[in-house]
Amino acid sequence: MAPHVGIGVDTAQIKEKALGDLLGILEGVRGKKTLILDQSLSGPIGLFAKFSVLQDYGVDKIHWLRDPPADYTQKNIIFLARCTPRNAQLISGQVKHYAKVPGHDFDYSAFFVPRRTLVCEKILEEEGVVGDITIGEYPLYFIPLEPDLLSLELEQSFQELYLHKDYSSVFYAAKALMDMQQKYGLFPRILGKGNCARKLVDALIRMRGEVTVDDSLNPFALTPSSTIENLIIIDREIDFVTPLLTQLTYEGLIDEICGIKNSKVELDASIVGNPQQNVNAGSSSTSATSPTSQPGNKRTVILDSSDKLYEDLRDTNFAIVGNLLNKVSRRLQADYEGRHQAKTVTEIKQFVSKLGGLQAEHQSLRIHTGLAEEIMNHTRSDLFNKSLEVQQNLAACGDPSSQHESIEELIYRGANIEQVLRLLCIESCVGNGLRPKDLEFFKREILQAYGYHHILTFDGLEKLNLLQSRNAVQIAPNAITSYSSLRKLLRLIVDEVNEHDPDDISYVYSGYAPLSVRLIQCIIQKQYLQMSAKGGKAPGAGTGAEASSGYLIGAGSTGWKGSEEALRHVKGKTIDEIQRGEDKAVRARMILNGQNEQKMAVVFFLGGCTYTEIAALRFIGKQQEGRRKILIATTSIINGNKMIQAALST
Amino acid sequence: MASLTAPTADWEVVADTFYRKVQLYTALWDADFNLNDYFVRGAPYGGALALWKDESKPQPYKGHQSKPAIEMYSSSGRLIRKIPWDKGSIRGLGWSEDEKLLVVTQDGMVRCYYDLQGDFTQFSLGNGAEDFGVLDCRFWGSGFVALLGNQRFVAVSRYDEPRPRLLADPHLADAEIHSWTLIPPNYTLSRHVEVLVATGSTILVVDASDSQDQVLQQGPFSHITVSPNGKFVGLYTGEGKVWVISSDFQENHSEYDTGMGSNLPLDFAWCGNSSVVLVWEDEVHMVGPHGVALRYYYDSRVHLVPEIDGVRMITTESCEFLQKVPDVTESIFRIGSTSPASVLVDAIDQLEQKSPKADDNIQLIRPQLAEAVDACVKAAGQEFNVHWQKQLLKAASFGKSVLELYSSDEFVEMCEVLRVLNAVRYYEVGLPITYEQFLRLTPEKLIQRLLNRQHHQLALKISEYLRLATEKIYIHWACMKVRVSTDDDDTICRSIVTKLNGKHGISFEEIARTAYEEGRGRLATQLLNYEPRAGRQVPLLLNMEEDEIALDKAIESGDTDLVSYVLMNLKKKHPLANFFRIINNRPVASSLIESSAREQDRELLKDMYYQDDRRADGAFVILRESLEQENFSAKLEKIKLSTKVLGDLKEHALEAKAMEEAAKLLQIQEVYEKDLPTKFIGLSVNETILDLIRLGYNSRAAKIKSEFKVPEKRFWWLKLRGLVAKRDWGEIEEWSKTKKSPIGWEPFFNECLAARNSKVAALFIPKCTHLPPADRMDMWIRCGMLVKAGEEAVKVKDINALEALRARSKVQSETLELDRMMNQLKPK
Repeated sequence: MAPHVGIGVDTAQIKEKALGDLLGILEGVRGKKTLILDQSLSGPIGLFAKFSVLQDYGVDKIHWLRDPPADYTQKNIIFLARCTPRNAQLISGQVKHYAKVPGHDFDYSAFFVPRRTLVCEKILEEEGVVGDITIGEYPLYFIPLEPDLLSLELEQSFQELYLHKDYSSVFYAAKALMDMQQKYGLFPRILGKGNCARKLVDALIRMRGEVTVDDSLNPFALTPSSTIENLIIIDREIDFVTPLLTQLTYEGLIDEICGIKNSKVELDASIVGNPQQNVNAGSSSTSATSPTSQPGNKRTVILDSSDKLYEDLRDTNFAIVGNLLNKVSRRLQADYEGRHQAKTVTEIKQFVSKLGGLQAEHQSLRIHTGLAEEIMNHTRSDLFNKSLEVQQNLAACGDPSSQHESIEELIYRGANIEQVLRLLCIESCVGNGLRPKDLEFFKREILQAYGYHHILTFDGLEKLNLLQSRNAVQIAPNAITSYSSLRKLLRLIVDEVNEHDPDDISYVYSGYAPLSVRLIQCIIQKQYLQMSAKGGKAPGAGTGAEASSGYLIGAGSTGWKGSEEALRHVKGKTIDEIQRGEDKAVRARMILNGQNEQKMAVVFFLGGCTYTEIAALRFIGKQQEGRRKILIATTSIINGNKMIQAALST
Repeated sequence: MASLTAPTADWEVVADTFYRKVQLYTALWDADFNLNDYFVRGAPYGGALALWKDESKPQPYKGHQSKPAIEMYSSSGRLIRKIPWDKGSIRGLGWSEDEKLLVVTQDGMVRCYYDLQGDFTQFSLGNGAEDFGVLDCRFWGSGFVALLGNQRFVAVSRYDEPRPRLLADPHLADAEIHSWTLIPPNYTLSRHVEVLVATGSTILVVDASDSQDQVLQQGPFSHITVSPNGKFVGLYTGEGKVWVISSDFQENHSEYDTGMGSNLPLDFAWCGNSSVVLVWEDEVHMVGPHGVALRYYYDSRVHLVPEIDGVRMITTESCEFLQKVPDVTESIFRIGSTSPASVLVDAIDQLEQKSPKADDNIQLIRPQLAEAVDACVKAAGQEFNVHWQKQLLKAASFGKSVLELYSSDEFVEMCEVLRVLNAVRYYEVGLPITYEQFLRLTPEKLIQRLLNRQHHQLALKISEYLRLATEKIYIHWACMKVRVSTDDDDTICRSIVTKLNGKHGISFEEIARTAYEEGRGRLATQLLNYEPRAGRQVPLLLNMEEDEIALDKAIESGDTDLVSYVLMNLKKKHPLANFFRIINNRPVASSLIESSAREQDRELLKDMYYQDDRRADGAFVILRESLEQENFSAKLEKIKLSTKVLGDLKEHALEAKAMEEAAKLLQIQEVYEKDLPTKFIGLSVNETILDLIRLGYNSRAAKIKSEFKVPEKRFWWLKLRGLVAKRDWGEIEEWSKTKKSPIGWEPFFNECLAARNSKVAALFIPKCTHLPPADRMDMWIRCGMLVKAGEEAVKVKDINALEALRARSKVQSETLELDRMMNQLKPK
């Protein structure tokens, strides 16, 4: 993705600030120090802070908070942990442990992420260690994974929101978005769908009021932004089917099969080659905050846009990745061959100067060829294809019961439980629940096949509204998402998909267009959607008419208008809030920033989004290049397996 | 104009530098008030003075003994407040930058009086202060260092959350500390406080991590002081010499012999960053650069209050400010100055005398006029005398009227600031702040100082004048009102609300808290209702024991931390049943409790489900426990218990039955584990069957099949997979002959092929009769049997397929056979 220059939110700045804050914390403690880190933070922090930098700032060693207290050599100890009660207890445990050991006179500081909470303080107080620790906070909210992608990296957010009904992540999301508003101005319009999305918007509006109280001096902070067009909030709950389907883009499949964590994937060294010979900057850089080296022959590969080849491949349908790799390989070959043409000294010099780049590219080609082969092994397998077929039939809403035999067979053949449950959940979500008889049958089969403890799994899935009996599903407007109605209204199923040169977002699932992204199109690509819904086939990227219609400007855009019918079939509340500021301030801001032709739309996924949704949004972004930029923000990145695992009892 | 003195009247020259001593206030105290008896400590930026009677001095008997008190005065000698003191010996008295008064007692207790009104917070130094006692303290803008009896130093670097920290041990157990001081953190390389300790003939630099000897020979030093910018250190040697050196001890700056011999000065401080001041009772030496000194003589004891740009000198009669004459002022007023600015000031004189020379002056400096105007504006800021301020501003105004292009911003700003400075310098307010200090202090903090002195009206006027936020003033006023007023609650509430109504950003929480602290609970509740931020109300509501309202407000704020915090408090306070009743109809609260209990407190979770009559959920908790249970019988016990609960629930019949099965399975598995050399516990029904078949215990597998009513179809699959895993191909072949497969023969083909036995796999191709020939052909190909595939092609007369097969063929015999088939098909 090209870096965002000047328009709207600058994600590089967020990264710099995160690093700056961290180093500030380290600098605040004099001398060498031991850092005791909450393991769940190591990945996110590793995205912007290299271990060597931390060393420069006096970090001697890093330990995990969960590990038993070790023999720390430095007098200064810094705890850096998420503000959970459990972490507070671990910290006090460590402090108390050393209080008993004579000769250990440590200076403790604890920094909670993203803020110090009353609960943590209370726990430290009750444990009697509050006086021994300097407490601070490290406001780490959004972490830029890519220039166009921000994530709060709250791994648990899906589970918390929909299973435990714990809305902490709504609050953190609101905080993060509020920070954005304070920096870039109010979102002139907030659109969204879903009940948790409503909570988020309420929190945002409330915070706006509170900020006015706290910071009434700055007249500028809270006027509508002139560079951001709107905020679109998509509540994961309104569209469970999209993530449940198997993602078919390259990046999506890597995530499905190998699991991407904090933009990193751990692979067998046999797949991607030996790290020693590897000079690729992107992938050989040591993970910043892992205290011990990677065990054995696993290798961590960073997957981000610093790898140009990956940037080209990630969002394409996997069907054409092989071809693309071949092309690159041929081109590289030709480039290497170029050395034979080099006759004069200058020519040879030129070639040598290119050589470094070529080698890096070659390296990355090797990784991706290996990775693609690994994925191919999976996609060729019978189980994969069978379940893909079932998925696509279910999504296209053939008779669901015709798929039961296939699902049964998958169970008999000992397929992954996640895989099986995903299929059942898709059926339940698409068809408003399973027939009670079918559900009972499958429950019995699964309990006997995978173990009786999955009673708990079913209980969890039911609470998540992922897998329900048809009797339990209430059919009322906005109580459920009715895919059967939306399929037609929003043209979710596209029969002819051109994977090579896609003309519609449905390419990411080879024929299914993610509902979540279709809803976003309802706002930013109205005409395209209307045309394609009516005429079946839309004229190319045909959004030319929109540009001139001028509704792009500010709060004058039409929001959800025209999609009321579709919205009625989607679960949860519909949100459309216009945020105004004082006229004078708005005008001043406009004059200062100029009237931008190009604006930014911020899309926030509450509860997580998939790589396919990101790919689809980037695809739309490309269609709208020059007129609108899309910034994607999410609580975390999820996939179907993670959703099932939220309920899975192990 | 008659009484007007020249601006240079109070100037004196030291080497080539001018110093001036400005008289700020006179007649501070009555003549019989003996300042000699007191310790005097002044807050920076023209702040308040704290006086504490020196106990070591003999006191004249005055009849009844007044109770000991710390007295706070303004620089003009107005009493701000007396703080009665009965906490024993004071070992440290000092101010912070924001005018908090710190009092450190001998036993290590620290009181921080934060508002000049006697309200304080208190903390203890710890680190052995109780045992060894505090000897002495040194303060800087936001913290202080205390010297303990065991020759160790304890630093406190903030007062909102004080964390006394022991500094590195200088190992001075036996050595005498002659004097010591500190360099504030913002002026050190490490950004942490450093302590300079004079011991023996040298100086140690001590910080948090280590102690460094500077290896000096000139000591011992009886006094040591650091310049306001932290760059220089002034030292006083026992023989009456003053020595100035850079704070890294690398560069000598000046030396001066006071001639006082071993008569040690009472006070030793910096005046700005260019000179040091020494005080002996009534004699004051100011040592400027190059070791040249000025001497002043007084009638009584002089106390010094160092400032960033000079030093305040306090005597009973007057408060004076000694500073280096600012360069710009010097260039204008120095006798014989010909700088453009001084010509411009002269022009104003001429103009007032209506002399044409005014214009001559202007013409003379025409090229540098803009510069001259700037200088006049700046110099105006440096003047204490209103007349000269005016004169300089007039000159600037006159000058700029001649200029065609000149931005008046600085001029306007200076006028505004001077108005403010003059207002606060007025003796009734008594804040003798200089322009430099004002810039450093910031207007907001100046307002805070005014509020602490109860000058609400002035603070409000200044805020409005400087376009600053006024909320704080209103809040402060309201808090004072709540404290002081004797009216009834309703009246106070009404008067506060009417006054504050419509004002943006008023925090009623703060006012309500004050009311609560004053014991006016009802008023606090009334006021709290006006607080716009729900979250802010919570802690106070909790204090006020308005538990349920606190919970509601916390929920309303959307901040889950706040909700959890309230819940933690409530859970501790209320009996469990009552607690459940409170959270019962608040779903946000109960789900938070549920999710925290799930992690930390299973029993609470069970109680909660029981209370709520969520029996199935309760049963599931027990089931979860059974999963985590290692012990077999305990595991079984839990399963049975959970089955029993579920059994009573109609809608969970399926689960109850499954649990029964689970128990049965466990029991069977336990038996098998004893009989057979393999592990079974933890496996599912299918896995158990699979393993039994794999290991060849077919009858046991069959038993499980019937026990758990495994459908035929599934059993076939499992048996097939088990046999393939066992690689018992003979058995597979036999078995396939006996019965018709309920799962078709394709799985047999696929499983065998996946196990890479294409020979056995091929056996099942002819059995797949329901498949189209094309599929069968494909199956043959996958087994590598092209001829067989060819036969299928012949059956459907597909010549193209045959050709494709032929192209793939690499074995001669196959090619020939395929050719034959093609010929057979070719139209004759």
